[in-house]
Order: sequence, then structure tokens, then C-alpha cells
Amino acid sequence: MNLSVKDHGISALALPAQDRGKVAQEVSRAMSLSEKLYQRAGLIFPILATGGALAAASFIDPYLAYVATSWVIFGLLGLSLDLVWGRGGLLSLGQTAFYGLGGYVGSILAINMAPLTGDTLVWSLPAGAAFGAASAAALGAIIFLARMGPLQATILSYTFTLLLWSLTQSFKVTFGQAVVGGDNGLSNIPGVVLGFGQGTEALGPVEVFVTVVIVSAAIYFLCWWLMNGTFGRVIDCIRIDPQKTELLGYDIRKYQVAIFSLAGAIAGLAGAMFGAWANYLNPSVFSVQEALLVPIYVLVGGLGTLAGAFVGAFAIGGLSYYLGGGAVGGQTTLILGVVLILLVLFLKNGLVGAMGELWRRTLPDPNAAARDAGPVSIDPEVLEGILVEAAERAGPAKRLATVALYKRFGGVIPVNKVTRTFEPGRPYSLIGPNGAGKSSYLKACVGIYMPEAGSVTVGESDATNAPIFERVHQGVGVKNQKPQVFGELTVLENLSIAAFARTGNTQAALDVSRKILAMSGFERQAKVQASALSHGQQQWLDIGMVLCLAPRIVLLDEPAAGMTNEETRELSALVRTLARHTTVIVVEHDMEFVRTLEGHVTVLHQGRVFAEGDIAALRADDRVLDIYLGRREHV
Amino acid sequence: MFRIVNATGGYGKTVIIRDVSIAVDRAEIVALLGRNGVGKSTLMRFAMALTPAFSGHVEIDGHNAPEAPARRAKAGVGYVPQGRYVFPRMTVTENIAVAAEANGHSGRPAVEAALRDFPMLRPKADDLAGGLSGGQQQVLALARALATRPKILLLDEPTEGVQPSIIDEMAGILKRINRERGVAILVAEQDLDFCLSIATRAYVMEKGSVRLETDRESLRTNKELQQQLLGV
Amino acid sequence: MELDYLATVLLSSLSSASILLIATIGLAVVFGLMGVINLAHGEFLMIGAYAALTATQHGIPFVLAIPVAVLVTMAIGAAVEVLIIRRLYGRLFDTMLATWGLSIAFYQLAVLIFGTVTPGIGMPQFSVKIGNYSLAGYPLLMTGVAALAALFVYVLMTRTVYGMKARAAIQMPEMARAIGIESYRVNTLTFAIGCGLAGFAGAVLLPIVPATPSMGFAFVIKAFLTVVVAGPVTLTGSVLTAIGLGGGASVTASFLTSVAGDAFFFLITAFLLWLYPLGITANWRSKM
Repeated sequence: MNLSVKDHGISALALPAQDRGKVAQEVSRAMSLSEKLYQRAGLIFPILATGGALAAASFIDPYLAYVATSWVIFGLLGLSLDLVWGRGGLLSLGQTAFYGLGGYVGSILAINMAPLTGDTLVWSLPAGAAFGAASAAALGAIIFLARMGPLQATILSYTFTLLLWSLTQSFKVTFGQAVVGGDNGLSNIPGVVLGFGQGTEALGPVEVFVTVVIVSAAIYFLCWWLMNGTFGRVIDCIRIDPQKTELLGYDIRKYQVAIFSLAGAIAGLAGAMFGAWANYLNPSVFSVQEALLVPIYVLVGGLGTLAGAFVGAFAIGGLSYYLGGGAVGGQTTLILGVVLILLVLFLKNGLVGAMGELWRRTLPDPNAAARDAGPVSIDPEVLEGILVEAAERAGPAKRLATVALYKRFGGVIPVNKVTRTFEPGRPYSLIGPNGAGKSSYLKACVGIYMPEAGSVTVGESDATNAPIFERVHQGVGVKNQKPQVFGELTVLENLSIAAFARTGNTQAALDVSRKILAMSGFERQAKVQASALSHGQQQWLDIGMVLCLAPRIVLLDEPAAGMTNEETRELSALVRTLARHTTVIVVEHDMEFVRTLEGHVTVLHQGRVFAEGDIAALRADDRVLDIYLGRREHV
Repeated sequence: MFRIVNATGGYGKTVIIRDVSIAVDRAEIVALLGRNGVGKSTLMRFAMALTPAFSGHVEIDGHNAPEAPARRAKAGVGYVPQGRYVFPRMTVTENIAVAAEANGHSGRPAVEAALRDFPMLRPKADDLAGGLSGGQQQVLALARALATRPKILLLDEPTEGVQPSIIDEMAGILKRINRERGVAILVAEQDLDFCLSIATRAYVMEKGSVRLETDRESLRTNKELQQQLLGV
Repeated sequence: MELDYLATVLLSSLSSASILLIATIGLAVVFGLMGVINLAHGEFLMIGAYAALTATQHGIPFVLAIPVAVLVTMAIGAAVEVLIIRRLYGRLFDTMLATWGLSIAFYQLAVLIFGTVTPGIGMPQFSVKIGNYSLAGYPLLMTGVAALAALFVYVLMTRTVYGMKARAAIQMPEMARAIGIESYRVNTLTFAIGCGLAGFAGAVLLPIVPATPSMGFAFVIKAFLTVVVAGPVTLTGSVLTAIGLGGGASVTASFLTSVAGDAFFFLITAFLLWLYPLGITANWRSKM
């Protein structure tokens, strides 16, 4: 079939483009203006807002401009949290730490450089951003390389902020002309000065407002572009299911540290701008109240919306301004507290999220197609073609070998010195009683469990201590017991994010995914969210994602669970075809399915290889009947 | 004895089951068959009051069943959900004891009885349930439901992910419990053989409704029906 | 002489650790059993302190004022569970933010009602002498109170039917209801017990820590870190981390400065999280 994909940008992943055959009919159904606007809302409305703010600058009251500048800065700080929390999935309470550090470092540099060059922002903003990024990278490395749990990560980031809070209270240091005076803070920070040389003066409040809006808008659009591309999609996948993302071959820790550092840079830059705006910084930027205010901005605006952070900062700032800006400070706190509770309870998606939801209800339901899905039918020829092509790109099939592989959990030894070699050619089935260690054995082969002893060899190279993603790079493809799909992404996005992990090329990834899509009978569901699929369909999608990786070794854990007999037959055909081109290991309980595979069967029992052979031989084995198959004519 | 009458329900605005009526007599075992996604699990959850009812109701012994799941359980409905759902950070013993105690029965004898019925749980009695294998969890979920001393047991895909010999054992235990204690059973299954080995009657569902009601013999012999409705 | 000094430092550190444990234990119950981080825990402690203070001001003896404080905080806790927490189970960070909102609202209400300055109550006067050093007896008594409180919670949660129901109801709320447990009622009670323990802490510590609207902040951060570092086996874990972190910080503070004590606390927390990313008890196989 002739491939002609028009959309070559990174956004091709985000917005699967118009294309051939049935896909074309489904996808390129004329989109209404409303739908087009909805898809680009993250771009259009912020442009309008930026324009509006710049236009308003010409006539608003300078005092309001002065105050509103701080809301923009807080919005930027909120944006940095939304990147790591709304998109990355980690509630960081360390954003104010990077903000404060960036503020201090940028301001110290500005104080020292201003007399020499005049211009302050060229020093303070990059310095703040760089220091924010560096400290975030350091903290992020600790959090993500240690693979901390989400709560522990949140707490560690909070501890970091608290540590800075208690330290900055007491220390007094002088950096050149800047005096950091502990509790007294850092004063005499020069205002926003653009232009070089002697005699340049700090801008007035309205000009500062304009400058801050322009800088913030630039950063917002950069983030929007980044998060709508492949990078953002991978970050989304990590939030939804980190293990699956790694099983696709992504080194998720790199991505996590990257987004965390980016957010740190934005927070640091915001801090430096804040210093220039306030001309003063003190340790209260590290305080508990400050740290917890940032999530409020994000929640009020809408978690994960990016633009919501600014909406939230303006809403909260505007509310405080309206209530008297500190004159009735007590009530402001009380109201904020109550507002926060009400928000969490009733407006979970924030202002932007709620409006988007209202809008979305007027649009046609993209998931409607999930309901008229046809049966899966594997076309062996198409599959054969895909596999041959995969072999050309990824090399020949590899063998998988374990030697005396050993894994224990406390007193339980699910994998007890298993030595097996799996070769390409015909499928291998692992059967055995529940708790025999079949899944654990697969997990130890993949790297989800790290064995205490023994070795795992992929092809010719030792993979015993390799992390999951490296084994995937070497050609291991895994489908775990439960279907792991990214529910918020569409079917096509699921497949192409898998294919991209291997190809590293958006276009090639789309080509591969379309083929798999056609083969698994999902053409009409390309734009359906994976979460709208039934359990059985998700199983197929998951298998499709594994195929996208063009694996040289395929491990399937109970792939037939929850499938009808009809689907099981298709699966059997798929596995047999697959086994001609790769090494395939299947864990299954469905003996009928195992029989149709006509392959080699290994019985595991109490973590050890108990018996092997073909199914007929095992049926004749009394010991196997005793521990596993049973004696009645059930199967 | 146990009736689901004109059940219509689903999630949000989506209707998944439509006007389903089912009856199970005292000490009867009835199978609920159908392909993936026809609404078997939703019907089970409807029966347990875990899915909001758009319309329809459930009767036990001719009386309307209470609306809250906990009170429905106390009225004699035992439920084994698809996917096991044992309490992971509680021991096997506690899982069974808490079910008995919640229904006003003493815990210790209930645990003893359960370990007698399911000897494979005995060596695991003091282990946390979350550490058991899938099949063991399934058996534990069954033992837990029985500890509530139900009049009717709702089993949702009890054989999924369970090894054949335990499936056999489970079929035997279910038949014995049914015979000795008069517990009625409604079992939703993909595994036709398992159903044929224990159930005497079956409802076949399609697209959220009951397509037909049939007995074991006609189901066993009618290959066309099997093919058409169940994808066997 | 030096040995005496060391002994007093150790004893007072042990009592600081015990005070931390007393303040933490309610949070540990709520977090360990319900998976809820209650950031308003400190304010419940504050409410307990004010309740006990108000009771003594009305002539009720201090020993009887403690149960009054427990009942008041349990009642408020139950109301909070029904109105807020119940809707948020399973949404860890949402409960965190909602209870933080609650915390600042309670704080502000306390300022409005009680003002920022309040009279303390006299500490029961008895002391313990070690060599030339004399230690106030009441803080030392807290060691015993902490041990009793931990034991009480352990027995309540592992040896009683209520404890089993409470754990079942929170681990799988829907399933618990399906086997006849009134999950809603049980969860309300569990949260109320957690808050009651906070109230108990506020009351029993009143002679040491006078009631102020902001007293909650001082406790909640450390209590919170203690519980998180403890990990899934919350109770036993919290006892260990309270002794390690609280005691360690107190020893550091008595030899250096109080800022150094705080820094010690935060640094060791960070270090422990680095070593045990899921909490120190992540791989334990026990229940509480």
C-alpha cells in the first residue's frame, strides 16, 4: 500500500495525521472549526492572553501592573510545577527551593555585575535558570536514580526546601557587593534594567510588566511545543505507567531527570525575576507556606494544562488583591484554606480543566468507535511481512539463556536455580502450578526482578545486571500478565510511542504502527483512547505494542487470559508465526491453547524445572498429573 | 429464591446491561455465559449493589434486597469478584476471619472450617494474602465469601488464571458445598467446560441482555449455539 | 560527672523522641491504615491542647481534661472524615492538599478565637536527679506514655475485630462492603481515632508545649517525615524512626545548636530515603 503521510512534524505523534485506506475515512472526517480550535487551544488562547496583557499594559494603573507582574512570575513558578507534577506525575514541593536558589544566585550576580555592565537581566535570568536547573538535576538524580516511591519523592523535595529554610535563617555571607544576611535577607537587588553601559535606568512598573510577560510567554510556548512532541508523550507515558514505558525501551530515569531539571530552570529563572521585581529576597521564599502555595496555583488553574498555572496565579492573586491584599490578611488565609478544600473536592480539574470539559462535551465523542469494533483477525501474510522486515532492521532472532538463575523474597524462592536455553524456531510454553514461579522467572529474565545469583544471557551478551530498558534494546519484548496500555493515549499513539522507542524516528514509527494497526483489526479505533477498549482489546493492543518493538525474543505472560476461544485461536496462529522468526516463551494455563502451539513445554514447580517435553509426553507423566494437570477429564 | 429483576445499569451515562432478569432457585447452580464484554461482570456487580442501578431490583426469598452492599452481604449474598481482590496486607487467616466477624459469626471456627475445605491454604495461613499466587488468592477469595455463610454465591470468572488441577478441585468443592449446605451459586465464566461440569442451567448473555436460557444438555450438544454465542 | 551529663543528655533525648512519637502516632494510624496524609494533624493536636486548656480553666483536673480533649478531637475528626476525606480516598495528594487547606483554616480560626498568646498550665512538679543534674520528671514520664500509646494502637489494630475491619475497609473498600463490612462507618471511626490520638498528644504534652495556634506546624513536619520514612509497616516503623530521628536530632541539638538539630533531622531523613526509597519497612512482611 502506498504510504503518504503529510504531517512530518513532531506533532505527528500527537495528532495522527490523515492517511490511506480505512484510516483515512475515519481520521480525516472533516473536523469542525470547534474541534480544530479545541486541539490547538493550548496555543491559541495563551497567544490571545499574551496579546491582551500587552495591550492592557498601555492603559492600566501602574500599581496594578506592579502587582500583576508578581502574578505572572508566580504563574511561571506554577508552570514549573505543572511540568513535573501535572505531566511528570511527581508532586514536587521543592519548586520554591529552586525558585529561591535561582533568585539568590541570579540576584547576587546582578548586584555585582550591574555596576560593570548596566544590564541586569542578561546576568540574573540565565544564572538563575542555570543554578535552578543544576540543583534540580542533583536532587532529581537522587530521587529518580534511587527509584523512590512517589510519596517519598514528594517528601524528599519538601525536606530539601525545609533544609534550605532552616539553613538560610542563620548563615550570613558576603559575595562581592552582595550581603546575604540570614534572616535579614538580601536587599538592594537592582530592578529590571535593559540596555548596557552607564546611566541606564531601571524600568518603570509597566515596562517591567511587559518584559516579564514577554519572557514568560516565550517560556510557556517553548514548554507547550516540547510537551506536545514526542518528549512530552514519553513523559505522559512515564506518568501513566513507568514500568511499561521502561519495557518499551525508554530509559525513564533520564527523561525524569530532564523534565525535573527543565522545571528547575524555569523555577530558578522565575526566582531571579522575582528578585529583580521585589529588589529584596529573604528566607521566607523557602517557607512551608510558600512551598504549598505553588500546588494551589496549579490546582486552581488545572493540573496538567500548563496554561492553568498562570490562570491559577491570576485567580489567587486577584482574589487576594480584591480582598485587600493583606489588610485583612487573616481572612485571606482562612478563605484560601477553604477555597483549597472546595477546589480539591469539587473542581478537580481546575478552571481550565473544567472549561475544557464543558467544551469537549459539545464535540463528537472520539471513543465512539470503540463500541463497533470488529473481531481481531491476524493476517499471517502481513504478520510475516512485518517480521521479515523487523529481522532486516533489528538482526536475526536471538536466544535467551539462564544459568542457575536464583531469586528469593524472604523465605520464598520463586526461581530456584533455573538453567534453560530458549532458541528460535518453535514456541516454548511454561506451565506449572500457581506459585510455581513462572511469572517470577519471566520477570527475572526481563530485569523487573534482579536475581541474587545466576546469569541471564540475551543473544551472546550477558544481561544479568542490565536494567530493563537495556535488555529491551538488546531485543527482549515483554507482555505482562495484565494488559499494560496507556489509557489516556489513543490506540495509534500507544503503538507509535512503542515503535518510536526502537526507530527513534517519528515517521518510521508511524509507518510501523499503521501496519500493526491494520493487522490487529484496529483501523477504525486509531483515535480511540486505549482506556475505552475492552479488556480483550487491550490485550491485543499490548501485544501489538510488543510487536512494534520488533523484538528478537518475545515473552508473553498469560496472553490468552480473558480472551474468547475464537481470539485464542488467532493468538495461537500469531504465536506460531512469531516463533518462526523469533524466540517465543509463553506462560499459560489454558492447556488447549498450549496444545495448539505444538511447541516445547516446560513444567515449573516450586521454582525449579520439574519436567519437560511435548504436551502428549507430559500428559502421560504421573508426576505432572499430580501437581498440575489433575486427573479428571477436565482439560 | 434469588432473583434479579429487570436490571439496567452501567457507569456514568453508559448503559452496559439492559433489562436483565435472572432467577436462581434454592441450592441450584446456574451459569452465566457470554463473550467478553457482554456485561456479565456488570450484572454480578449489579447483584451486589456495586454498580448503580438505573432501574430494576434484586430479590432474596421474595423480599427486596437492601440497597447497601454491606447489608446485602448480610442478607446472604456472597461475592467473589473477577480479579480476586483479597485484602493484600492481611494474613490468610485474617481475610477469612474478618468476613465471618463482619456477618456476626465467630472468626476462629470459620477459619478452621475454611482450612478444612481448602487444605491448600493451611500452610499459608499466616502469610500475607498479597504474597499468594494468583490461584491461591482465587481460592482464598472463595473461602472468604463462604465464611460469610451466604445463601447464594456469586462467582465472577473464578477459573481465570488458575491451574487446571485447582479448577478441578474448585469444581468439586463448589458441588459439595452446594449439596451439603444448600448454597445456591451463580457463576459467570468463559470456561464452558467448567460450567458444564457444575451448572445445571445457564443464561447466555449478548450485548448487555440475556439472549436465552438453556439447560446443560442442550448447551453441551448444540455446537452451533456454542459457536455463535460463546465463540467457542 | 561527664557520665552524669551524658546520661542526662540521653534521657532527655529519649524523652524528646517519645514526645515526637506521641505526636506522630495518630498520623501513623491515619496514614498506615487509611493511606491518608493528614496535614491538619498538627491542628488536631492544637485543638486537643486548647480543649484540655479550656477544660482545666473550667476547673476540671488535668487528668480528666485529657479524655475531654480526646473526645473533642474525635468528634471533629469524624465530621472532617464525613465531609471531606471520604470523598478523596485513594487520591493521596488530593487529601494532602485538602487537609493542608483545613490546616490553615483551623489555624486561622484558632487565632480568631483564642488570639495568639495563651497562658500555659503549670507542669506537674517533680524531678529526677542524676548526680548534680536535675531533670524535670514530667517529660521523662512521656517515655512511658509513648510506649503505652504505641502498645494500645498495636493491640487495637492487630488483635481486635475492629482492627481487622479497619484494615480491610481501607485496603479494598468496595470488597470490604461486599463481604458485609460497613466500610464508611469503620473508616470514619479510624480517622476519628487518628485525630483523637492527636488530641491526646496535644493534651498530654500541654504542660511541656503550651497551646498556641501555630503549635501544629512545629510538630506536623517532623511527624510527617517520621511516618514517611517509616514506610508501609507504619507503627513499628514510626517507633524506630521517631527514636532514631527525634533522639538523634535532640542529641545533636544539645551538643551543637538547635538549627544543627533540625539540619540533622532533615539530612538523615534525606539519607534514609536515599537508602530506602520506599521507606525503611518496605520489605518487611509484618502488618503494623
